[in-house]
This record gives sequence, structure tokens and C-alpha cells, in this order.
Amino acid sequence: MKRPLALSLAVLLLLSGCSSTEESTTIFAMDTVMTLTAYGSHAREGLSAAEAEINRLEKTLSVTREDSEVWAIDHSAGAPVTVGTDTAALLNAAAALGDRTGGALDVTLYPVVKAWGFTTGDYRIPDAEELADLLTRVDDHAVHMDGDTVTLPAGMELDFGALAKGYAGEQCASLLKEAGVTSAILNLGGNVQTVGAKPDGSPWRVAVQDPEGESEDYVGWLELTDEAAVTSGGYQRYFEENGVRYWHIIDPDTGAPARSGLLSATIVGKSGTACDGLSTGLFVLGPEKALDCWRQSDDFEAVLIGEDHTVQITAGLADRFTLREDSGYTLRIVEE
Amino acid sequence: MTLKKTLSNRFWLILLGVIVAGSALAAWLLLSRVPTGSIAAIYLDGELVERIDLAAVTESYTRTYTGKSGITDVVEVARGKIRVKEADCPDQVCVHQGWIETGVVPVVCLPNALVIQIEDGSAEPEIDGAVG
Repeated sequence: MKRPLALSLAVLLLLSGCSSTEESTTIFAMDTVMTLTAYGSHAREGLSAAEAEINRLEKTLSVTREDSEVWAIDHSAGAPVTVGTDTAALLNAAAALGDRTGGALDVTLYPVVKAWGFTTGDYRIPDAEELADLLTRVDDHAVHMDGDTVTLPAGMELDFGALAKGYAGEQCASLLKEAGVTSAILNLGGNVQTVGAKPDGSPWRVAVQDPEGESEDYVGWLELTDEAAVTSGGYQRYFEENGVRYWHIIDPDTGAPARSGLLSATIVGKSGTACDGLSTGLFVLGPEKALDCWRQSDDFEAVLIGEDHTVQITAGLADRFTLREDSGYTLRIVEE
Repeated sequence: MTLKKTLSNRFWLILLGVIVAGSALAAWLLLSRVPTGSIAAIYLDGELVERIDLAAVTESYTRTYTGKSGITDVVEVARGKIRVKEADCPDQVCVHQGWIETGVVPVVCLPNALVIQIEDGSAEPEIDGAVG
């Protein structure tokens, strides 16, 4: 008689114990919309800290706010500017990632991006002469840092559009963990940062968008635990003129939209900042050079979707990426 | 078998019956949730302004939303799907995005702070987020 009773009680306990507190918040910041979701008893305080951090970083790093550190640097006319730890950290990261990608990521491209109208939506095609002139003002090696002082030559402008969301995700993940949160997923406008695993212990499932499909179509999904994933693709922001598509990811060599044979590059790794910068850099580099960069690194994995409809995944994702059966793409696993 | 023993047995049987019935009821309540993936929640300037049951739409219609920005989004609602049909925002990212129906990603018109999210989407397999 006692055994069925115990069984019934166990079933009741199981049924009542399977729910975990979920808290979610949506923020408009950094020129995108962010949805932060955290689980467990510390979720609310963790999200409050994360939201405050995003607003603080927006104020510091925005290229359009007149009170930001980036604005101060861009309008310094070559005079030294004192910056805080975030700007300094991002400049160091930008220099390192710029070198790792052979200059394919360059945070001083802003004058060129502006000329194409990607900052305002007033799109236009600059002619070759204008681009050549603008490119004389692009060179991330000209940014000089000495302690907490930054000097940017007059006429140059930098922005952290290719890094800031990844950095914000990484910082928020740290704050959530400090608050005691062990399970959270942060969607920062197409960048995803995860904290731990899902409340049931299984990895987060994050879809990789189909660059040629509708917004909801995805080629497959990644399984992530306590790491970030960031995608750069020509389909994200673009305009068309005379049947030609011009997108927002600019090749620092030409000053024009990067046409490298890739439709998108997705980077998975522990550092959201590195994932963000490398997704842009590897998209610009194209499939071969991108894989060379991967072979020389040990801090990221990649999903490279090519114009030839192949999905190349690096070896570390072999058992963590699932291609949709009806995706229309061919999967290829890249070994070391 | 004594009378006392019989009573005791009956008591335990009834108690067991009550517990089993309670468990079954709890399981039924938890597992037979109303089918989801058809409710579109529309947020403007961070506030929920409307929830639309897309499964209940018989004929498609449009509705306009103007936020604090002064920008107007024309949202088209159809059976099982929703999109921004027209917008006077500068970048047109929301219009380019087209229809959504599964909830993998929301439609966002950033300049107007408009977000259309399909709640508890019907994506198979279950997806927690998306990059792109």
C-alpha cells in the first residue's frame, strides 16, 4: 500500500517542481532592440543590473550622443582625450582583432560608412574619387593610446558599432553571474549571449538565420552553453540601386560593401566582444582567409554561409550545429 | 478479515484514489495548455498596446501605429501571420523583414520603437533565440 502512495507523491512533487521563475525585459539601446531573459530567484536583480549597464555603455560608447566618450574622441581635432575603462578595453580589443583579421575589421571606417548613408538611411553611392579620399582617413593603427589617454588624428572618426553589442553582452553576463543568476539568454539585436545552460540543464538552442530566406527562416541551430554567438551578413542592412544590392559591411581595402563570397559569418566563443568583431572581420575576409584566421586561433568557432549555398562549420561545432533538413544548403565540416 | 482491517483498507484505497485523481488533474492542467504561437503582441515605445489572436483572423486587415517618434507603421494582420506592410521610417528594415508566423524573431521598427512579438511561438524544434 505504501509504494503507490509514495509514487503518487513523487509525481505531484515532480509536477510542481518543474517551473522556474522567468523574468524578461526589453530595452531600446545601441541602435537596436534587446531582450534579456533570466531564470531563478535572482533573475530580477540580475536584469536590473544588466539594464543599467547597457544604458551606461550606450552613454559612453554612442557615436551620435554628444556626451559620449566616443563623440569626444571623434571631435577632438587631434587633441588627447581621457577615457574610461570601457573605451580603453574596446580600443585594445579593436587593435588586437584588427591585427588578427589582417585589417578586415577597422573601427576607423566610420567616415566611409557615413558617406554611404548607412548611419542615417539617406543611402547614396559615393564615387571612386570620394572613396579614395575618405580611405586616407581610415587606419586603426593611427589611433594612439597611452594609459587612459587616446589621441585620434584630426579628420578621422571611430565607432564601436562592430564591437559594442558583443561587449555589452559580455559585461551583462558577468553582472548576471555576480547577482547569482546561473541561467539567462540575452538577445542584443541579433547578437546572442548566454549565461550557463537552460534551467533544465540542456544547452540553449540558437537559430542561425537563412541569409536568403524570410526573417524567420533559419538554416539550422547551434547549441550554446555560457558563450556568445554573433552573425554578420549582407542581408541585415542594405539598399538597392539599379538591381545591385549595397550592404552595410564595408571592406576597409576598397571602401565599398565587402563582396567576399559569403552571405553571412557566425562566430561562437566565450568572448562576446571577440565574436562581434570577428563576425564582421571574417565576413569581409571571405571563406578561405576566414578559415585561415580560425586555424591560427583557439578562442572561437565559425559557421560560414557561402553564396554557393554551402554551410561550412569549423570542427568544434561538429556536434553542436544541426542543419535543417529542408534548408536547401549543404553542410561541410572544416577540420583543423 | 476483521471489520477494523476492512475499514483501514478502504481508507487507504480512498486516499490513494484521491491522490491519483489529484495527480492526474495536475498533469492535465499542466500539460494540456491552450495551443500557443498564434498571439501577436504589439509593443509601442516599450508599452504593450495590443494582443491579436492570429488564429482567429478570418480576413486580413491593416492597422496603423504612430509612436512618440511621429513615425507611422502600417501593420497587416492575416490568418496566422503578421507584418509591417508600410512604414515612413527611413531605413525600411521592418518592411524588408516581411511576414512572421513562428516567433523565432520579432518584427522591429527601431525608429518608431515598435516591436511585434509572437508569444510562445510554434517553431519546431523549440528555439530559444536567433542570430542574424
